Order: sequence, then structure tokens, then C-alpha cells
Amino acid sequence: MLRFLLIPAAVAILTGCSSPPAEYIWKNVEKSLQTQLITVRDGDTIDLPEGHFMFTRSLTLDGKSGIVLRGQGLDKTVLSWRNQTEGAQGFLVSNCRNIVLQDFSVEDAKGDNLKVNDTRGLTLRRIRSVWSRGPHSENGAYALYPVLCKNVLVEECIAMGSSDAGIYVGQSDSVVIRSNTAYWNVAGIEAENSRWVEIYGNNAYDNTGGLLIFDLPGLTQYGHTTRAYKNNIHDNNHENFAQPGNIVASIPPGSGIMVLATHDVQLYDNDIKDNRTVGVAIISYELVAALNKGVKDQPGAVGGAQTVRNRFREDTLYNPFPYNITVFRNRVSNSHWFPAISIDVGKLLIWHSPFTPPALLYDGISDPDRKQHNICFAENGDVRFVNLDAANEFKALSMDVAPFVCPPGSTIVRP
Amino acid sequence: MRFFIIALSIAFSGCQPAKQETVVVEEELPAASRNIAGPLKLSEHSIFVGLLKNLRPASNVHPYEINSPLFSDYAFKKRMIRMPAGKQMKYDDREVFDFPEGTVLIKSFYYPADFRKPEAERRLLETRLLTLKNGAWEPLTYIWNDKQTEAFLEVAGRSLSVSWIHSDGQRRDVAYSVPDVNQCRGCHLKGQRVMPIGTSARQLNHDNQLANWQGTGLLAELPHGGAIPKLVSYEDPGSSITDRARAWLEVNCAHCHRPDGQGKTSGLHLAVDVTAALALGVGKAPVAAGKGSGGRRFGIVPGKPDESIIVFRIESTDPGIMMPEMGRKLAHTEGVALVRQWILEMK
Repeated sequence: MLRFLLIPAAVAILTGCSSPPAEYIWKNVEKSLQTQLITVRDGDTIDLPEGHFMFTRSLTLDGKSGIVLRGQGLDKTVLSWRNQTEGAQGFLVSNCRNIVLQDFSVEDAKGDNLKVNDTRGLTLRRIRSVWSRGPHSENGAYALYPVLCKNVLVEECIAMGSSDAGIYVGQSDSVVIRSNTAYWNVAGIEAENSRWVEIYGNNAYDNTGGLLIFDLPGLTQYGHTTRAYKNNIHDNNHENFAQPGNIVASIPPGSGIMVLATHDVQLYDNDIKDNRTVGVAIISYELVAALNKGVKDQPGAVGGAQTVRNRFREDTLYNPFPYNITVFRNRVSNSHWFPAISIDVGKLLIWHSPFTPPALLYDGISDPDRKQHNICFAENGDVRFVNLDAANEFKALSMDVAPFVCPPGSTIVRP
Repeated sequence: MRFFIIALSIAFSGCQPAKQETVVVEEELPAASRNIAGPLKLSEHSIFVGLLKNLRPASNVHPYEINSPLFSDYAFKKRMIRMPAGKQMKYDDREVFDFPEGTVLIKSFYYPADFRKPEAERRLLETRLLTLKNGAWEPLTYIWNDKQTEAFLEVAGRSLSVSWIHSDGQRRDVAYSVPDVNQCRGCHLKGQRVMPIGTSARQLNHDNQLANWQGTGLLAELPHGGAIPKLVSYEDPGSSITDRARAWLEVNCAHCHRPDGQGKTSGLHLAVDVTAALALGVGKAPVAAGKGSGGRRFGIVPGKPDESIIVFRIESTDPGIMMPEMGRKLAHTEGVALVRQWILEMK
């Protein structure tokens, strides 16, 4: 009881000063909340009160089933790791089943703000995950980061400031990402090595790249079967502030949607506007590897740069080439005259396609073992297309979309 | 009293200029449902006899040693195992031994006041128990009181200020972190199960320990002949740099960085028996490292420790960068030097 009397008293003392008052009264509930998360019975709900709460170590929920953790609203219940001294994440959920996290904010973790590992059944609803200083290369990689999860729903969340991806779903199955907002991240929304992913109704703007659908080598599973529709992907022209070495560091500013080395993807009914470098790009991992030459080759040296760069080929099950990609009925437009030139892909474009960057791009590096790649475009308006023919040093670079027009019937939305 | 101090601290800091330290008020959330099982005091476990702080094992409790210990901010550790009467643990070539129901693994963490006299005065910080109950291993942590008369159950962890005279005669300090139960699980999870880590043949194959256990009937199915794997001590100058560095990576990294560990998402696997260069990090680009890459492109660049992400991360003490993610606040200078040397000599 005493404590409830003292809080108003403290507020009175604060506001009585002539200097500006503290922004909030931060509370420390670390020990009791962590104890709750450890001792909570399966099936129970934990209600987080309204207020601003400061943590020094990661909060963790592990091995639980059927837990709901809910705040009083993303403006009202704020968890901050600004003073974090321990743990790589803000909030870490691992090895759980059927977890719902909703209606609170997570801020300023040293690493990822909210990571969910190895969990079946996850809902993230109305979570705002941000780094409050805005874009910065020292921010954590991911704002919202389900990885190795199944049956995931991320909805009505806000992600801002990630030095990699705002909403990032990795190595996961059966995922719905809908009605979220991502801005001021390197990648707004990214699905990586994930299967059966639905991405719709999201708003991604002011990121370096709006939406990425990637498949990378050497991981626990490969991705395929993703649909992205009715998203608003605009003005993703932010400078790239990712740490070098990470795959997203090679995303040129001004990328709307990028599909990398994956297959069975449908992109339709999206609004893709004013992304200055490219609206939709479909590329292979070969191009990324080629652009990623950071170190000089040392011919003949064992373990030299060439060997290193080509290590991804050691993953013999990995297919670096995209196929079965259908891009249709999108509204693509761009009022910018020049692509961003700070990153290699951008330089490529300004060299080969100087005025009006392409709305649609295919790198033209195709799988020699595959006859039909089924990469096609339809009804995206009267927009510029470029096939880089990167496999042949851009010799046959072409703006002719005719070979890539979807055959009749191919633009039917799968059920 | 506590509230008075808090109010006072707010009163002071509240009147400072605009750019002020964050004011944090201590609060407790109302208690929720609880299902933690475990006695509240360490003494209730009857693991030790006599004065508790002397850690003298009861007759069914057996001290043991391992070859290469995890680095825990230079804390010393005493390891013991309590076996249920008449039962045996079963030998395994690769994985941790198969233990009978009721087994308790006991690890006490302490700092000698002066590392040059480790047997003299010491401060016990925590005693961790791993108990096999109904087929599942349960972690519990007990934190010692200042008087060193008792240790009390703490599921939420705690930070403890520790200082000592290091082996070089210099005073060292650390905000030692006692893990919460989820952090215990974080390292001990193998797939979906909590498992012991250090009680494998290669770690326990130390002097005549295994033969002695077999002799006293604690251990079954120990193979005859010299076929028992043995991890080197990473501190042993008589072993090769490669063996020592791989032993260090095994004990500090491989509990997560293995195909069924928490670090599997990265594709980096650091167990001592891994031979694939890519899995070890050679030429491997980071997956989700963020700033943990330090701007370096590959886990390991042979011959170039300063271009290798692994070195960057084990040298760091930034929570968002460092590896392992928890269990240390300091860099293990000797271990880092070893890994550096190994990469430097790598062809």
C-alpha cells in the first residue's frame, strides 16, 4: 500500500522541479516478472500492468505451453532494455507451445528485441518493437524474430530501427504476417528459409528494402511457397546501415521487393511505389556471392578468398537459383530518376540502365540443370523490365519482357 | 525503509538538468501461480555433511573432475554427483552418460580471495543442482548468503559483486551473474530436453576417474582397452594448439552450437568431432548475427584471426555481440589467445 502512496508523491516531487521532469518513471519489476515467467503454470495468463519497465537482463520464457502475456496497450506497457548488461536479446521465448504475446512495447535491447526460438504456435499481436534512437548500425539485428517456429501469426505489430530486418521470420513453417508496419529498418519484412508463408496487408516504408523473401545456404531447412499480396511497399530508400558481412548489407537502398534463391513465390496486388532502385527484383545467390567480393583473390592459395566466397557450394542440397516466381497485378511506379548507387547492384543498374530504374528485374542467372524456370510477370502496368543477363557479364542485357510474360492461367491465385 | 530511499533518490535525480540518469523505481508484481519444485535451502538436500560451507560430501556423493571446464568469469568450481543407492550410470562413447532416476549433479561456484592461494579463504557464490526426476533433468540454483552459512533457492537469478586477487597478483572485479532457471535451460537444452553437459566420456576420462568409478560400482559398461575418447585440457601446454582450441570451443560453444542445440539456427557447429570446414565457420557468412559480425565477412578466415567473426565475438563483452551470450561478463583472455593462434596457424 505504501508503495502506491509513494508513486504519486514521487511524481509530485518530480514535477515540482523547475528543470524538465524525467520522461517517465521507469519501474524495475525484473525479478518478480522473471520469477512469474519461470513459475507460471501452463495455460495461465500474465497481465502486464500499465507503465514503463526497465530491464538489465533478458526476460525469458522457456518450455511453457498455452501462456498469454498481455500488456495494456503498446503505448501503455513499455519494456525497455536500454540499461541492459546481460543477455543478447530483450525478450526471449524458446521451446514453447501456443504462446500469445500482445499489447506491449519492447525497446532498445542490445541484440534482438524479441526473439522466439523453437516454438509451435505463436501469436505476436500489437507489439511495438523499436530502437528509440532510430536507425543505427549498433542497433540489434531484429525487432521481431520468430525462428524455427511453426504456426506463427504476426499481426498489427510495429517494427522500427533494426540493423537487419524489422519483422524477420527464419527457418519457420506456416506463417502469417499481416497488417504490420515496418519502417526505418534495413529490411522491413523478411521471410528467410521459411515455407508456407502468407504476407499481406502490411505497410513497409522508409526501409532500405521493403520486403525480402530469401533462401540462404547451410541452414536447418530451405524455404519455398510464399505469397505476398495487398502490401503497400513504398519509399524504401533509406541508406543501408547493416553491418558488413550480413546478407542484408548487400541490399541497395531503394529496393521494393527482393526474391532471392527461393521458389514457388507469388507476388500480386501489391502497391509498390517510389522505391528508387527497383520495384521487384528476382535474383540468385550466385549474384550475391559475386557482388560480395570483399577480399582480393589470392590465386592458387588454399583457403584464399575465392575458396571462401564459393563455400556456399559446399551445401550441395542448396539451390541458389529462383524458380516458379509469378509477379502479377501489382501497381508498380517510381518517381525517382536514378537508382541509389551506393551499393553494387545500384551501380550495376546505373551503368546498364541509367534513366528510370526498372520496376521489375531478373538477374538472368539460371539453373543449368533446370529447363523451365517459370519466372514470369503479368499485368503490372506499363513498366520497365530488365533482364540483367548477369550470368554472361550483362552481354545480353534486355528490357524485353516478352520472354517472361506469364502464360495464360498461370496467374491464378493458389488456394 | 526501502521506499524511503527510493523516494529520496527520485527527489535528488528529479531536479537535475534535462539529460539525467534514468530513474528506476523498485516494484513487485503481484505473485502469480507457481509450480517450482524444490526445497528453499541447500542444506535440506543433505548433500553435504558437517559445516555446510566446507562442502564435505555425504557418503553417497562423489566429487569428480573434468578435462576442460566452461569459462565462468574465472570462478572456481567443485563438482560432485549423488547416485541413488545401488544404481549405476551407464557409459556412452559420445553423449553424456545415462544416469539413473534420482541422480543429482552438484556444482558449487566460488572465488578464492587470492588465486595464488586457492585453498585458503574463499567466497562461495552459488551451488547449482541438476536432478533427474521422473525422467527429466531439473535445474535449481542456490545462492550463498554473506555469512556462508546457507544457500537459498533463487529461480530468477541475481547479480553479485565479486572481487579477488588474480593469479597475476592484480585485483579483479566482476558483476558475477547467477543464472535464472531459464538461462540454465538455455545452455542445457538438447532438442527439447534439459540434459547435463560435462558428464561425457571425453570430459570424465581424467586420470583414473572412470576406472575408479567402475571399481566402486558407480559406472557400468566401461569398455576395456584404450578406446575411451579423451578431450584435452585446453590449459595443457603439452597438447597441440588445434586440440586445445577445439577443446575450448567444445566446452564454451558446442552446448548451443550443435545440430540439436539452441545455436543451430546459425549453421555453426563447434563440437570437437566436427570436421566440415563450413560448419566450423571457415568461409561461412553470418546468418543472423547483426552487429555481432563486427563487419567481418566470415566466421573464420584461415590465417586471419582479426578478420574472423568468432574471434570478434569471444573477445567482446557487449551483451549484443559476445559469445557465449551468457555465463560470462569478462573475456577469457587465455581462451581467446588460443583460438587466435589456432586460426593464425590454419591453412
